[in-house]
Amino acid sequence: MSFHRRIRTIYGKELIDILRDRRTLIAMIVVPIVLYPLLMLGSIQAVSYQVESMGEERLIIGILGEPQAATLQRLIETDARNIQREKNALDPQSKEANELPEPLDHFHLCPFERREPLEEAVRNRMIQVGVIFASEILTDQIDRTNAFEFLYDYEDVRSSFAVRRLQDMIDRTAERMKQARKKRFDLPAEFDKPFELTVTDLSTRSSVIGQILPLILILMTITGAIYPAIDLTAGERERGTLESLMVSPVPVIDLIVGKFLVVTTVAIMGAALNLASVSATVYFGGFDKVISSTGGGIPIAKIVFILLCLIPFAVLMSAIMIAVCSFARTFKEAQNYVTPVILAVLIPGGIAALPATRLDGIMLVMPVGNMVLLAREFLLGAAISPWHIVMVLLSTTLYAGAAVAVAANIFGKESVVFADAGSLKSSLSRRLIKPSAKPTISMGLLVVAVLFPTWFFVQAAFSPGPDEDAIGLLYATGWLMPILFLILPIVILAYWKVDIQNTLCVRMPSLRHLAAAVLIGISAWVPAHEINVLQQSLLGVPQSVVENAEILGETLGALPVGAVFVLVALVPAVCEELLFRGFLLSGLGSSARKWTAILVSAAVFGVFHFFLFKLPVTIGLGVLLGYLCWQSRSILPAIVAHFLHNAIGAFGAINPDWYEWIGVSTDTDWVHLPIHILIPGGIVFLLALLITARPSIPTIKQAVPAPAGGL
Amino acid sequence: MDMVVADNLVKVFPTPNGKEKRAVDGLSFVVREGRIYGLLGPNGAGKTTTLRMLSGLMAPTSGSAELGGYDVATQPNEVKRVLGFLTANTGLYQRLTARELLIYFAQLHRMDHDEASARADELIEWLGIGDFAGHRCGALSTGQKQRVNIARALVADPPILVMDEPTLGLDVLSNRIILEYIKRERDGGKTIILSTHYLDEAEDMCDRIGLLHDGKLVAEGDLDSLRSLAGEDRLSNIFLKLIRADEKVEAIVR
Repeated sequence: MSFHRRIRTIYGKELIDILRDRRTLIAMIVVPIVLYPLLMLGSIQAVSYQVESMGEERLIIGILGEPQAATLQRLIETDARNIQREKNALDPQSKEANELPEPLDHFHLCPFERREPLEEAVRNRMIQVGVIFASEILTDQIDRTNAFEFLYDYEDVRSSFAVRRLQDMIDRTAERMKQARKKRFDLPAEFDKPFELTVTDLSTRSSVIGQILPLILILMTITGAIYPAIDLTAGERERGTLESLMVSPVPVIDLIVGKFLVVTTVAIMGAALNLASVSATVYFGGFDKVISSTGGGIPIAKIVFILLCLIPFAVLMSAIMIAVCSFARTFKEAQNYVTPVILAVLIPGGIAALPATRLDGIMLVMPVGNMVLLAREFLLGAAISPWHIVMVLLSTTLYAGAAVAVAANIFGKESVVFADAGSLKSSLSRRLIKPSAKPTISMGLLVVAVLFPTWFFVQAAFSPGPDEDAIGLLYATGWLMPILFLILPIVILAYWKVDIQNTLCVRMPSLRHLAAAVLIGISAWVPAHEINVLQQSLLGVPQSVVENAEILGETLGALPVGAVFVLVALVPAVCEELLFRGFLLSGLGSSARKWTAILVSAAVFGVFHFFLFKLPVTIGLGVLLGYLCWQSRSILPAIVAHFLHNAIGAFGAINPDWYEWIGVSTDTDWVHLPIHILIPGGIVFLLALLITARPSIPTIKQAVPAPAGGL
Repeated sequence: MDMVVADNLVKVFPTPNGKEKRAVDGLSFVVREGRIYGLLGPNGAGKTTTLRMLSGLMAPTSGSAELGGYDVATQPNEVKRVLGFLTANTGLYQRLTARELLIYFAQLHRMDHDEASARADELIEWLGIGDFAGHRCGALSTGQKQRVNIARALVADPPILVMDEPTLGLDVLSNRIILEYIKRERDGGKTIILSTHYLDEAEDMCDRIGLLHDGKLVAEGDLDSLRSLAGEDRLSNIFLKLIRADEKVEAIVR
């Protein structure tokens, strides 16, 4: 039975199983369809009821001194009379009449002798607002002002509300007095208005939603994924069905992929229902105005788009949940593991939801955060470069892949399945790890998934600013690449007792493959150049690529030749080959098929260059070097080929004349190589491939004992 | 032909206090084709661990095992294809019907849907579970569940059955049904390893018996040879004598 058919079988069974569960249905259907409208209706009605009732409530105003009480009473009554007069002058059905302010008619004045008890009464919420006049009698003299003080409690809604109403009343009175004075002195209406300012808010209601929606989205998706993830992993163990599953002739990776797809499906279905329910409640409930002052519904196209954004997000969350729950033996244990994960996910999600955060720099590869930002930028209608989309999707895929691989490695592990086989902690302790010949897929992918954002951060931190050279970046790469790409994987291999020499393929290759490596190294730039020209004719060359090439050329020109070859050719050739063709390819090759392993390692190698324009060439190079390593069973040919390829590139960068000499000038656009270079170069390259195609030793796949213990 | 060969199996578990526990300690035995081999012993003797190592659920710390000629460590998938595995506390998917469950496991054994459902119907007929084949497993009684479980273990018609206390917790009637099933499978030519601590059951069922105590085989043979070895007639007495528990029992009772 093929991989796909087994996955389909497992997927079908698990989906039926989980959809027949009452708890799933409640979490997925009842909660969004019943709870959201209820919550929304309830809270909106409660708020409007409160506002209404506060408007009808009697205002209790404390005032300092009896005479002032009489003055305030007069002020309020005069204001009410004026409003009534304005109202009488208007048609009661007209819009203007409806927009007139409500006079303060229900109020009660409590005179106080001194300021302290008045303050105390406001603090104790005995009265809503305290009023203090600077003088007993109000004046209308134009060289004097009437000073007031309002005492209120910001935390008390009633108090804030009362002070606003009093303030409005004072403002109305002051405006009337101003108009009267202008009339008296025959002043134009603009007399006290040197500026007239209009501030227009251009945001639409969807942008308000766009700010908060991604965060809601996270919660919806997580809510959908948690229960099935626990049920399909820890639940299987708790109900005792895992043993019969593990004695079926099905690879664990198939089981995990099937389960992971079900969790993703349920998460997407749940989130879709949530989204539909919220949209419907807003739309049919007539709450548009409550949510935004400008009104208008959420456009259908945006809802569909949000759902599309949700798919990679659900994929990542489901993968993480499955991985985490695979560590647990019981439902309860799984819930304990899930809680910190949710918090950890909410942090990058929350950062991404901050209005000032942008989709660039480290946020591009921040797990979860980058998805939230991408969704938000789309919703806000911002222009997003395709490079950013690719980066977000590829990094999310890498993280999800690593999580699924970890889950496959943990799920069904005897220390997790059987309580008497020791705790997970004991299975991580080095003493009990059995030596193995190669790392597992999950170890390979996990290390690379951790290195990915780290390396991105290093590149971003040292990347040259405007008018700077790239020396800092080159030296940082020269120092950090060996540490991250070489020492870190070796330490991990040593801890897990994995055969380092075998994993990194450190052995002498045949002379034939060394020769092939040299030929590939000196000729690979020919197809690479042609790919670049093709790509440029189809898509054009981004300005940043030209600028980067210029900066790099200038920087390299300023360095001693020896340093250039060490930093640009030697260090990357050794470190990248040992990481991608040694560590990662060995890990993938331990259970994946040859071409799957080579293609995945090449794709990861390409993504690690953080450069969309270079992606086709770097992936192509990754395939070539992976193939060379696989066929020769040695890392050395790949290092030699990589070194020569980079060295030729560096040579070209410091000797621009070289491009002239071979007939492709750098001044104009890139052009195809002249025939007298292309044909010999192509022949050498194909010859190298032919030599590589014959494996050095008849069997490449050795009998490798299944790696025991550890990730 | 030897269908099951256990060669010097050892399983060491870590314990919380950092020491190691040898749950199975140098166990070797063979089971001939078409026989029922009884693995007997008190709780904690290492029966379950042994069966888990034989079925590939646990990796032995040292030693090796072969089932149907396949090595458990290096050919786990081949071993899984010749093996039916059943325990007393194996759960069933509560929300699937018995029939759906059998079809699912048949598909996991590489049958397509039509083959799988034909096989499920065959087993439903063979084991007489037609009355409740359409019920969800969560609603079945313990005895009915165990019958479905046996059907699950037989789904790929494997030549070897490994059964860990298959009658634990069953009433007399269900117990008898399960034991009859097992005998019928043996008569059909299957090789069966049965672990139990019901000694009467073992006496009645097994062609050969291994007495396991503290992870070691203290005696092995057919019932007659065990009788003559211990000078006792009843298997329970033989057992107590061989593990020298009679002195302990006396000490406790006195």
